[in-house]
Amino acid sequence: MTTVLLRRGAELLFALLALSLLVFLLTALAPGDPAEELLRRGGVQPSPESVAALRAELGLDRPLFARYLGWLGDVLRGDLGRSYADRSPVAAEIARRLPATLHLAGVAALVAAGLAVLVSLATALRPRSRLARAVALAAVAVSGVPPYVVGILLISLVAVALRALPTGGADGPGAVVLPAVTLGLAGAATLLRLLRADLGHAVRTPFVRLATAKGLRRRRVVVVHALRVAAPNAVTAAGVMLAELVTGAVVVETLFSWPGVGQLAVTAIRQRDLPVVQAYVLVTATAAVLALALAELCVAACDPRARRR
Amino acid sequence: MLRRVLIALMAVLALLLQGCGGQEPSGQGQEELTLAAPRDLVAGPDDPYYLHQTLGVWEPLVTVDERLRPVPALATSWSAAEQGRRWTFTLREGVRFSDGTPLTAEAVVANVERFLRIAPRPSAFFSLDAGMEAAYGKPAGVRAEDGRVVFELKEPVADLPARLAGFFSMVQSPRAFDPSGGFAGKPVGTGPYTLVEWVKGQRAVLAANPHYRGTAPAYAKVVVRVIPDANARVAALRAGEVDGLIDKGALLPSQVPAIAADARFRVLRSPSVLTHYLTFNASRRPFSDARLREAADLAIDREAITRTLLAGTAAPGAGFLSPVFGDLADPGAATYSPERARRLVAEAGPPSAPATILISSAETGQFPYADIAEVLRTALEQAGIPAKVTVAEATKAVMEAGDYDVFLSAYSVPNADPDYLFRRFLRSDAAWNVERRLGYRSPAFDRLIDRAATETDPAGRRDLYHRAQRLLADDRPMIPLAYQDNPVVTTAQVAGAAQNVAYVVDLGRLAPAT
Repeated sequence: MTTVLLRRGAELLFALLALSLLVFLLTALAPGDPAEELLRRGGVQPSPESVAALRAELGLDRPLFARYLGWLGDVLRGDLGRSYADRSPVAAEIARRLPATLHLAGVAALVAAGLAVLVSLATALRPRSRLARAVALAAVAVSGVPPYVVGILLISLVAVALRALPTGGADGPGAVVLPAVTLGLAGAATLLRLLRADLGHAVRTPFVRLATAKGLRRRRVVVVHALRVAAPNAVTAAGVMLAELVTGAVVVETLFSWPGVGQLAVTAIRQRDLPVVQAYVLVTATAAVLALALAELCVAACDPRARRR
Repeated sequence: MLRRVLIALMAVLALLLQGCGGQEPSGQGQEELTLAAPRDLVAGPDDPYYLHQTLGVWEPLVTVDERLRPVPALATSWSAAEQGRRWTFTLREGVRFSDGTPLTAEAVVANVERFLRIAPRPSAFFSLDAGMEAAYGKPAGVRAEDGRVVFELKEPVADLPARLAGFFSMVQSPRAFDPSGGFAGKPVGTGPYTLVEWVKGQRAVLAANPHYRGTAPAYAKVVVRVIPDANARVAALRAGEVDGLIDKGALLPSQVPAIAADARFRVLRSPSVLTHYLTFNASRRPFSDARLREAADLAIDREAITRTLLAGTAAPGAGFLSPVFGDLADPGAATYSPERARRLVAEAGPPSAPATILISSAETGQFPYADIAEVLRTALEQAGIPAKVTVAEATKAVMEAGDYDVFLSAYSVPNADPDYLFRRFLRSDAAWNVERRLGYRSPAFDRLIDRAATETDPAGRRDLYHRAQRLLADDRPMIPLAYQDNPVVTTAQVAGAAQNVAYVVDLGRLAPAT
């Protein structure tokens, strides 16, 4: 287990370094002049002198490589720079918004994983149950609809027609429900299908049959023995999903005015606020890499063979 | 076990839902009002203004009315001397800032000097250009004299109040600023409200200013929420979470008909400074040929575009300046004649390569530009000009490479002076004209707008601007497609909504409907 940890750690560092270079180049080389975009936010055209002055002030006239080294040095010291738009420190802004995104991603992951585990267990326990099949079918169907549309439907139904939950914002404990369900539904289908298929195989393996033959109750056989064998694929998928939840909440956060980092990124991209965009990509990509590494460790813990590989 | 898990889950869900079931209906005759806007109307202490004029925390010397005329705000009157080289503004009496200190001419001067000191400076609203020429022309000095504010200018300015109208003549207490020109704390203004709480990107909370000179606003507290998504904004309105939607782009054109038909809401359609223009690339074929620009102009059915695609929220474009410029706008006339367009194309020789209609992806969210561009493409093709539509993220780079033929985009002005539009976009040496390859060089046009900018006689200035616009109508470097309204909405329980052309809703005049 220790070697696994060490090797994964080294790989992780390399991945993060490559990531930082990509993040910087992709954002810095993207077309569009941040200075001009910033100056024309009110919808009026700035004078060329003002654009030139702002470019110099933001250091955009320096060579690209010098900008990357300066940026990387700052990042390693924990300084993500200042927003071009309102000059506030980016690290503080991200830190302020990250809990909201993690909260949303966490609840969404609970929704997705809960739905997947419950429905697949139900189908494994009672293969002929119509309800379980219908729920599985519905979950897969919903996952094919873009989250934006699902979100709008949930808002019109639950928030506007029933007035049961707020349409957006983050006031009150109920505000997280609709965005989390929207996000969770998008992730549930993959998990559900993987887990159902693997569980179907697992119940037919010899040792599970032996457990049944021993006289264990069906419920205990499926939930304790078969589920553990069936888990690895779904856990890996859950890692990917968790990463997607953190990085992909952009649309849902904007729709529900959820004050997380995704919403910040949308505004920043629109006005070419490079430090914020870079910090957002860096932080979420790091989170994604970490989530995947965590999933791998879980698989290793679940399956002894993975440790030897 | 499964059942137990299920029961536990239901219990958790029930607990979660319980906390949020009973939202109180906000506003509705009480002292509190909740509004929503597409963007954060507070920009923070590093912004030159801190917050938008519409929040009613600060007031300008001069503002604009619903026809873009400069009208008194903190200045009650003004006069020009020495052919527009000296302007004197008389201040309203008995005005106090929200910290209790009186408004003085010295305070106004301190604000102007601060702007000049910190420019150039980007802003979420109207950026301060180097030298502040759009606001003050070429200032030689500004001073307080017998309680009045006097601007001395190196070159005459025809209508300084029009240039100052709005953000460029913001007045806040000099104590609000630190020595470097930033904000020392909260903004301190003279308006009906003060800013009591700001959660960046989420909401601003305003409270009635106890030192306000006029009658206290009907709502003691106003919350302005930020809801960036247009569908979510309308959902919040329908769900009764907000009492109104304000600011630029509060409602999408396509949302207006359904909301306007609903008796629970009052939609206010007031004209705005925003105009949709088509900019031609006349530095390459096909539109280097004036006949083909005219053909394109004739081929467009502006009436149909404004009525259907813009859902009646815009008026068909005709004269170069929007009618909100009042008598400075030349009425002009746009003709729709596909037959004449076809004849002109046949006469000039139909182009072989397709013309590129360029739109910005940043604007497609607010206006149905993808649909409009498609209609334009069809119109051009029917006239005999093959065309294609390109959506670009960074239109500046595309235009500077000269890789477009028509650019569809909306423009507004930061104040009430049309000089800005002509000088920034179309003068022969304008950066827009030169860098974006418009290829428009007209010494006659340059002379007309230069004379108009310093002509202090209103009738003479009007005549010069009308001549300049007729020149543009013939040359067609840019043609107006539509004059956009900015619809805002409140519930029927809120009365008194009024919006000027610069998207400023006077929050102090909102009151419960009786």
